[in-house]
Amino acid sequence: MPYLADLEKSGIPTVIINYAEETGKVKHDRTLFGFPELRYVEADRKSPGGVTEADRLMQPVLDALTKPLTAAEKKSGKWAPEQPRILFEGTLPEAEKFYNQTKKIPGILNAPFSVYTDGLPVVIPTDERVKEMLTGTSHKPDELITLQRDGQQRGFGAVEGGYTQKKGDVVKFMPMYRTATVEQVAVNAVMAGCRPEYFPVVLAMAESGGGTGDGRGGGGAFVVSGPIYKEIGMNVTNFIWGPGNPANKTLGRVGSLFWRNLGGYEETVTTITTLGSPVTNGGLIFAEYAEGLPMGWKGLNEELGFKKNESVLMTFRAGAWGVGQQNAPGVYRSLQRTGHGAIARYLDVKGIVGPHNYLEYLTKDIWATMEGGFTLVFPPQIAQDMYDYGFKTKQAIYEWIWKRSFEPVKQFRMRGNQDFVTNGWLGIEKTSGKHWKELSDDYMVPAGGDDPFGSYNILVINMQETACARFGGGGHSQAFSIDAWR
Amino acid sequence: MADKDKVYECLNPVGNQEPVDTYPLAPRLDKLEGKTIHMSICGEADIWVPLEKNFKMEYPDVNWTVKKRFHIVPLELTQEERKTTDAVILGVCW
Repeated sequence: MPYLADLEKSGIPTVIINYAEETGKVKHDRTLFGFPELRYVEADRKSPGGVTEADRLMQPVLDALTKPLTAAEKKSGKWAPEQPRILFEGTLPEAEKFYNQTKKIPGILNAPFSVYTDGLPVVIPTDERVKEMLTGTSHKPDELITLQRDGQQRGFGAVEGGYTQKKGDVVKFMPMYRTATVEQVAVNAVMAGCRPEYFPVVLAMAESGGGTGDGRGGGGAFVVSGPIYKEIGMNVTNFIWGPGNPANKTLGRVGSLFWRNLGGYEETVTTITTLGSPVTNGGLIFAEYAEGLPMGWKGLNEELGFKKNESVLMTFRAGAWGVGQQNAPGVYRSLQRTGHGAIARYLDVKGIVGPHNYLEYLTKDIWATMEGGFTLVFPPQIAQDMYDYGFKTKQAIYEWIWKRSFEPVKQFRMRGNQDFVTNGWLGIEKTSGKHWKELSDDYMVPAGGDDPFGSYNILVINMQETACARFGGGGHSQAFSIDAWR
Repeated sequence: MADKDKVYECLNPVGNQEPVDTYPLAPRLDKLEGKTIHMSICGEADIWVPLEKNFKMEYPDVNWTVKKRFHIVPLELTQEERKTTDAVILGVCW
């Protein structure tokens, strides 16, 4: 849309072809970019496509370029919605009713959609509570959220590009490209149930874009690295994604509120998504237990260029859980202790005491129905075993897994995201620097992401049981200093 | 006054929307013949392959130009290319 707006501004008439259910979003965006009457033609996702749909679209598209402008299309003006600082005055029961109100959205069959919340009840952000939240930072309430240091924002997946940001750049919350002050972030933190001591983490989340992504962020997923996890009581031991720990729960929820309130997410109105994710629904944040790392393995903060004693936050796009092989924790122990059980049989090390390369089992056929990298969450024992096996750094594991993902081009051609990854096979294959079309059928290319560090991540938590978690969406991206927001 | 009757000022969680100047659309084409119309294709080959073919076949007097990219961000015309482009069709969506 910004491209079309720019063309129209320079005097070039345009038309956009969109699918019918995207029209709400198109109408919204054309206002956001200054051309509230920008012309569009609806294609039909349910049509048979091909010649039939092309025939149907031709004339309306040409009409949009040639039909004289209407009076409304010739108008100029200003769109300036304003939001009051004080949103509501009343008793707490009245406020609860107000903040938990819903609206009906036709695009989702008039299912109720929360106006100010993620769908769950919220803590009412009274002036007093927000003031208390603001005691968690030295930053002024009216300060705009800006980048605290230069950085390279990572693209997510095949469809969302990365971009460079400079220190001082004002953070835009998507999909409405809104900005926010420290106080507005505090309002959302109160609503999520956060405590003032969590607030520097919340502000770092805001600096990262708050999980709003390119507008379809879903609330995002976040990892904390550094000593702050102890200060604020994040659970880094068993059941880090379970109920009971206020820090993990409420901080995870903040991203969804940012998306709804700071970013203005409204399904089918300001953006259009697909299914969402069961992984991030409700909020996903966890902290690394760097004390459990084997000697020589760096914590996430150090991997991302910070010091061990610095606290940082990294965003990631968590995909499906459970990619790869399943095994009971005891089967893992049998493998390493005595060389018995299913994994030992698979690795053909029956009766031989470990350490054995568990990753060989874990990554067997892991790319069969998925592409790209993933994140592994290890307890200290598995991390130590991998170290003892010979992976003296995390990077060595990233590289080993990535290399394992290589497959012939003829197999890669059958993958589902390749139009994006290869730019319709018109682009350059990154490991060879050659055009995709130049590569022979048996040329080996990675199905597991562009590069090891950008595609894989290992995080250690504090747990005795030898179970690990895996989820799609891995790698490393820009870190945001939590300490900068103290 | 009972606590339940106490009146509170409650703050707004919504972010700041910068004001937007809105503009009239660019004037439309008076005719198609002899014009340069650019197709900015960013997906849905099922529709675009026959559409591109039809445009070129049925409107041979139009100078059709094309840029294709399978991405939500289209490949943009350069400033130089804009000088010789009369209209742009972008799709499907984005």
